[in-house]
Amino acid sequence: MKGYLGIDVGSVSTNLVFMNEGGIIREAIYLRTQGQPIATVQRGLKELADRLPAGTQVRGVGTTGSGRHLAGIIVGADAVKNEITAHAVASLVLVPGAQTILEIGGQDSKIIILRDGVVTDFAMNTVCAAGTGSFLDQQAARLNIPIERFGEIALEAESPVRIAGRCAVFAESDMIHKQQMGCSLPDILAGLCEALVRNYLNNVGKGKEILSPVVFQGGVAANVGMIKAFEKELGLPVQVPSYFDVMGAVGAGLLAREAATKNGRSYFKGFGVAEAKFKAGSFECPGCPNMCEVVEITEGDLVLARWGDRCGKWSNQLSKEKVS
Amino acid sequence: MRIGIPRALLYYYYYPMWKVFFEELGAEVVLSSQSTKGILAQGLKYAVDEVCLPVKLSYGHVLELAEQVDFIFLPRLVSVEHRKYICPKFLGLPDMIRRLDKMAPLIDVNVNLYRKNVDLYKAVKKAGSCLTGNKLKIWKAYHRSIVALQKYFRLLQLGLIPEEALAVLENRVKNEPLPYPVELNIAVIGHPYNIYDSYISMNLIKRLRSMGAAVYTAEQVPEKIIKRYAARLPKKLFWTLGQRMLGAASHYLDRPDISGIVHVAAFGCGPDSMTGDLIERQARAMNAPFLNLTLDEHTGEAGVLTRIEAFLDMVRWKQAGVVGL
Repeated sequence: MKGYLGIDVGSVSTNLVFMNEGGIIREAIYLRTQGQPIATVQRGLKELADRLPAGTQVRGVGTTGSGRHLAGIIVGADAVKNEITAHAVASLVLVPGAQTILEIGGQDSKIIILRDGVVTDFAMNTVCAAGTGSFLDQQAARLNIPIERFGEIALEAESPVRIAGRCAVFAESDMIHKQQMGCSLPDILAGLCEALVRNYLNNVGKGKEILSPVVFQGGVAANVGMIKAFEKELGLPVQVPSYFDVMGAVGAGLLAREAATKNGRSYFKGFGVAEAKFKAGSFECPGCPNMCEVVEITEGDLVLARWGDRCGKWSNQLSKEKVS
Repeated sequence: MRIGIPRALLYYYYYPMWKVFFEELGAEVVLSSQSTKGILAQGLKYAVDEVCLPVKLSYGHVLELAEQVDFIFLPRLVSVEHRKYICPKFLGLPDMIRRLDKMAPLIDVNVNLYRKNVDLYKAVKKAGSCLTGNKLKIWKAYHRSIVALQKYFRLLQLGLIPEEALAVLENRVKNEPLPYPVELNIAVIGHPYNIYDSYISMNLIKRLRSMGAAVYTAEQVPEKIIKRYAARLPKKLFWTLGQRMLGAASHYLDRPDISGIVHVAAFGCGPDSMTGDLIERQARAMNAPFLNLTLDEHTGEAGVLTRIEAFLDMVRWKQAGVVGL
């Protein structure tokens, strides 16, 4: 089999997707990043290599997500793209005609507006994480409910309580207050979903024209309570694609196909990188009061990449070394 | 006599004038260094909570100068043109700064041209009198400084960013070829002290250029055009900088060669939240690509980079009609 590999390294999850040359998804892997992007990517590659038939040929690889540069260096990516473009590309292929993409991940959330198959507008959440998956995760943990059951319990709600969703801290005190008043658990969970949706639409979706078909993706789309809350608030049906939790990786794979076809070759280093010893370290550059935190990725004695320096002192030095 | 000028706020508009003026009067002008994490940290430490990010940063610049100079030039900018105001936080700045410990004496003349333009000379005379009693000398220095300022504004209109224009004025130009191939023209609209400060803006302008976009800013648009476009609003905006941003944005929206607008706002800026929204509504109505970037002291470079990349992808995608899949 020949195909393309897409890797999405996010703050909470790392996803890998393998698709054949026609763009049909053959394997999808969802892993928790747990703060170790390199090890997680390696683990994912290993698992993927085991699952794929022997002799599988990778024609191209693309990376996306907040760890895209890091992952790109490790695997030798043909395409390194931001999450917005990757998600949009994936939705356009998997849900033809999509006009609105709601994406809620672990620590970020975004909205992408598409018209006639082109991104016309997008927004991402600011530093606040009140409208993201981590918020639900935290509250579920506080209520002692496994996050997987969050949605189904929320569906049992009879009258969802009103919870302030502006700020995760205030929402939590609001929720405690509602608990003490004796509101039922399903009502509180449904209320949380509604609060999150309200916050998302006011914050990220502010001023955007949300038209059907609406696609809901990202890890939080697994939560049926959230789907229902979105449908109720928007008054529109909300579709969740079958690969909703790995859409970024799907997009990265599709972009890799484009890039590798254009270049006529792939820079993929092979599944062997799963065994290689990579090390990521950082140091504070003492050169000026900016005190940039410079990240350095090494494989054995070889420095693969450096970034984080504003002036380019460390990263440029490296590209010169490479040339010589 | 050493006079310190903080590299902050309206330094980006008036520095050439201030420098020439004080040098003509025989003073040595000391400029604070480029913004760094250290300068911002100082500013955050000493500034009051309620002010916006650029004002906090200016605290840091002033503090850097405090022990190196005899005076710090920090004019109280109330109004720089007829019937328009500068943000009230500028007005209070000299008083907020003065209460800091070990602060050098300030030259905090009032610049208020709200009623009539000739009031500028009152401020100039007062600033000059700190250095000399010779009125003729002040008058001459003032005229030379105006010439320098006009030259600077012309350079900005030609499309140079302040850093480049100052290099030309001070004969420090390196003859470098254009380092980037231009595929797109992007307008970057924001207060000059946000977009031209490469630290606070996360090097936005240079980043865009390195990604193949030529950057157009409000300072490149002649005043006449700004006024004409700003007059489309049902009511006059009363901030000089707000009007400039809004007028320039409307102008660029009208130009078919500009592919998109990036609006840069500082966290805690009242006027930005309003002009930003006015610009966004116009852009939306015209279906023009628009990106709003809000900068604060916690802004991570990764977030800004992702947004710019996605924005340029969007613009290119839109121009090509289809993504090449």
